Amino acid sequence: MSNQRQGMLRPALVGGAVAGVLTAVPLVNCLCCLWIIGGAMLASYLLAKNSVVSLTSGDGAIVGIFAGIMAAVVDAVVSLPFQALNRQFIQKFMEQFSQFAEDMPSGWEKWMERGTGGMSMAWFLLGLVVSAVVFAGLGALGGVIGASLFGKKKTLQVQGVKDETPQDPGDRQP
Amino acid sequence: MPRRVNKTILLIYSFTAIGTVAWLGAIFWAPYLRSHSSPWQGLVYAIFSPVCHQIPSRSFHFLGQPLAVCARCLGIYSGFFIGLALYFFLRGFCRLALPQTKIFILVSFPIVTDTLGNFARLWETSNKLRFATGLLWGAILPFYFITGVAELALSRKKGDGSPREPSPQK
Repeated sequence: MSNQRQGMLRPALVGGAVAGVLTAVPLVNCLCCLWIIGGAMLASYLLAKNSVVSLTSGDGAIVGIFAGIMAAVVDAVVSLPFQALNRQFIQKFMEQFSQFAEDMPSGWEKWMERGTGGMSMAWFLLGLVVSAVVFAGLGALGGVIGASLFGKKKTLQVQGVKDETPQDPGDRQP
Repeated sequence: MPRRVNKTILLIYSFTAIGTVAWLGAIFWAPYLRSHSSPWQGLVYAIFSPVCHQIPSRSFHFLGQPLAVCARCLGIYSGFFIGLALYFFLRGFCRLALPQTKIFILVSFPIVTDTLGNFARLWETSNKLRFATGLLWGAILPFYFITGVAELALSRKKGDGSPREPSPQK
């Protein structure tokens, strides 16, 4: 069992890293939670590719959970510079705008100072924990879907002998 | 012969249902808090920020404020809730079974097509259509989620890598 979990680590890292980066980068992160589900499906695909037996739904779920947690960590780290850039952009824009605008909202300088302050470690960790929980759930979903789509191995039939490979107990139903 | 209810599946279904109701409730709670100028509204909106762009023009509004997620995400989560109800009638708590791949592809086609079309700036769909495509796709998701998590839980209970219960259905 531990060897199986170790085999899941690399696919989860790859799937989670891809999902985390795409979730963090502005303009492409408009697909919302679908990146996390897609990353987990990628993790399942990579796991299935390296596996000689069919993946169960449980295998897909756990590799998806790992991928989701990885995505949360990558998202938190990758989005930091983008948040800083956004704050700088808004500050410069407001300073330029104030030179031309006759009336600016009162106290906007104080709002800018408060808004451009660095994020506290406590808030960062809280956000990371919340993201990890949510992304783990989405990842489990994506992993199961990926295992369902990519995880089945065809049964080999040798003449006179039928190869009985372990089948997924989650049978297909209309 | 009456089928025996698997307690693990029932437990996972129950927690999933409770979590879904709480999640949907929070989506509507955020604009309620904002409309009452509550200091907690930022925190509630922030919970959903990792999974949604929260663009107000692409979101439905409640009490004059945008919901915590966009129309498409709301459709997915609402569809998930509907799918949970369907799961109760179609699967029950005696067996685990995944949907057919062709059905998944069929219900995924509208949301994938619409999302890619909007992303590539080929067209701009209304919030109602985004909600509808999300609703359709979301309805099939519980059949994957509950099956996968339940199978994982059952395999851990057995202590080996292969789940034994419930027995496969033909």
